[in-house]
Amino acid sequence: MQNRLKYWLLFVLVLTLALTGLSTAQAAFEDDEACLMCHKYPRMGRVTQDGVFRSYNVPPEMFSNTVHRNVPCRDCHNYIKELPHRPVETGVTCEQECHTKKNPATGKPFSHKPVYDLFQSSVHARGKIAEGLDADKPYCISCHTNPLYNPHQIEPPKKVVDRCELCHEKLDFVTQWYSHTSRRVLEVKRSGEEIVALCSRCHSNEKMLERHAAAAEEAGEPLGKKFLIAAGSYEESFHGKVTKYGLEGAATCLDCHADQENYYRGVHGILSSRDPASPTHSNNRVETCRQCHEYADEKFLAVDPHPSFDAKYNPVLHKAEAIYGVVGNGVVVALIGLSLFETFGRRRDGVGWRIRWGSTWWRRSKRKRKRIIPR
Amino acid sequence: MKLSKEAEKALQRCMRQNRTPDKDRKEVEDLIELMPQDRVLLYKNVISNPIGDLPRYSIHIRIQHLLTFSTFLLLAFTGLPVHFSDAFWAEPFNSMLGGIEVTRTIHRTLAAVMVFTMIYHVATLVAGTVIQLVRGRFDMARTVIPMYKDLRDMKEDVMYFAGTRKQRPEMDKFMYKQKIHYFAAAFGNSVMVLSGSAFLFPDIWASILPSGWAYYFQDIMRLAHPHEALLALVVIAFWHWYNVHLAPGRFPMQWTYLTGKITREHQIEEHFLEYLRNLVEQPAERAYLRTLLQKYDLRAQERLSEGAPASAPADGQ
Repeated sequence: MQNRLKYWLLFVLVLTLALTGLSTAQAAFEDDEACLMCHKYPRMGRVTQDGVFRSYNVPPEMFSNTVHRNVPCRDCHNYIKELPHRPVETGVTCEQECHTKKNPATGKPFSHKPVYDLFQSSVHARGKIAEGLDADKPYCISCHTNPLYNPHQIEPPKKVVDRCELCHEKLDFVTQWYSHTSRRVLEVKRSGEEIVALCSRCHSNEKMLERHAAAAEEAGEPLGKKFLIAAGSYEESFHGKVTKYGLEGAATCLDCHADQENYYRGVHGILSSRDPASPTHSNNRVETCRQCHEYADEKFLAVDPHPSFDAKYNPVLHKAEAIYGVVGNGVVVALIGLSLFETFGRRRDGVGWRIRWGSTWWRRSKRKRKRIIPR
Repeated sequence: MKLSKEAEKALQRCMRQNRTPDKDRKEVEDLIELMPQDRVLLYKNVISNPIGDLPRYSIHIRIQHLLTFSTFLLLAFTGLPVHFSDAFWAEPFNSMLGGIEVTRTIHRTLAAVMVFTMIYHVATLVAGTVIQLVRGRFDMARTVIPMYKDLRDMKEDVMYFAGTRKQRPEMDKFMYKQKIHYFAAAFGNSVMVLSGSAFLFPDIWASILPSGWAYYFQDIMRLAHPHEALLALVVIAFWHWYNVHLAPGRFPMQWTYLTGKITREHQIEEHFLEYLRNLVEQPAERAYLRTLLQKYDLRAQERLSEGAPASAPADGQ
């Protein structure tokens, strides 16, 4: 009995150690330069002049689930020249050239710079540190949230990976490579609902919209007349409602406002509707509508994708809605009122509530006349 | 009963169109003579078969009504969870059908069936009218076309309910309420088909319409479709069903929409002019009425309760 207990405890101990060992093994990412020696600590950071705590903690188990997990720290933080390093003056921006491995197609170090530059030429342009009106605009990380759990990450099919493994031997490498390429092929962009939610985060923020509209007004270049109600009016539109249902067929923000020639280029280079290159410029709108509405012509532009029943934006529609409300309710009240009046009026002839042969006429009349001849 | 001028005219026209032989004319006139002046006394003493006595709706009309109400209700039940997709009941209903995409598809298919029914109905009306015209049997008073008489009848009926008239007016085959409902439903259905087509074919409508209109058309149609549908649903549920099935005298249900026949007590009360025509056209009805009036002297009953001889009513009373 004693022996049994001892062996049982030993087994539990070994199991615990093994599992712990497993979890830490999964959490580690390549840290050849021992940055984590300091940066693994949760309270690693500094307090600014304003009393704000700036955290420099990099939790290994979180970082190893992100898209940059295989990029060595100093590929991006390339201003660090010695360890321990001096205080950092400027941080990393998304135009950093990283990856020591060169891009085989161009021979250049890999970088997000082409997209970053495109973004800087768009209507959303801003730097990593921005103030005033620019601070309202989205930076790269506003949309590229780098989620820890990627629902689109699927387990590579064994039959495919088995083939690669024969030459490339290391299963980890094969799996990573498969995920990296397949993720692009699988078209893992946001759904229609998610796109609308993303854009609406800012474009339904009334205070922010008013700030920008007022500033543009002062600068002498007023913004588009639907700017203030963009998100709200879209939700009321046919496209907005279909998207809200979870269906993918209807136009979302990016389908019209981003150039669809190259979708991924287009969404980073969104231009103002005043810009002749924008798909929502009056010269280009018919083509934009024709992406889905094959019979659209110039006259189709009269249909409003951002409709509003507000008196300020469309007094005719506002009146139409008001009249419909009055007439609709009025008709119902009048008809039902007339029916009730009739029911009470007919009581003079002896309306009863007894069921007899499918009819309820079986009560003495209030006029005190003998209506029914006794049979 | 001394007939009003209006009733006399309707009766004579009917007898002329049916080329009624003299013997039958005499019989009808005798029966009318035996009727009491007070129609209430008459209809309270007839025995009606609850599923109907007298012909009213042809088989085509009944089929069209069945098609119309079933498509209407199903359209409403598939339209409501699309319009109110945020409501708590919409999600389970939509997923029961297979997702909102399926709900929308069912809705549009039923709309096509409703359009077919409307065309079928128009064809029936046209064909029926042509046949009647050819046979010399057409009488505008027996159609659903509104006439000044209906306005007068409505006024008289309301006065009766208020207590300022002794009898309900003598109304024709389709009384004012039915004409209101018919045109409300016809208009409502047309609006629904029109606005629904704007949802399906926005580009085609935009290219057809003059440019000033197209700007407002799509959004007014988007406003009209759910509003008109809700209005129609409320009117049908609370007004139409009340009047046909729940009102005193009809409860628990009226069978006319299935059998195409109306009870004689209903006909005498609300469609008296048509009842007079039934006496001309249906020998069985004459026979029944003769049996009844010979068995019970309703005129005497009336004289007893009023204490004065009956006199001819003024027109419209």
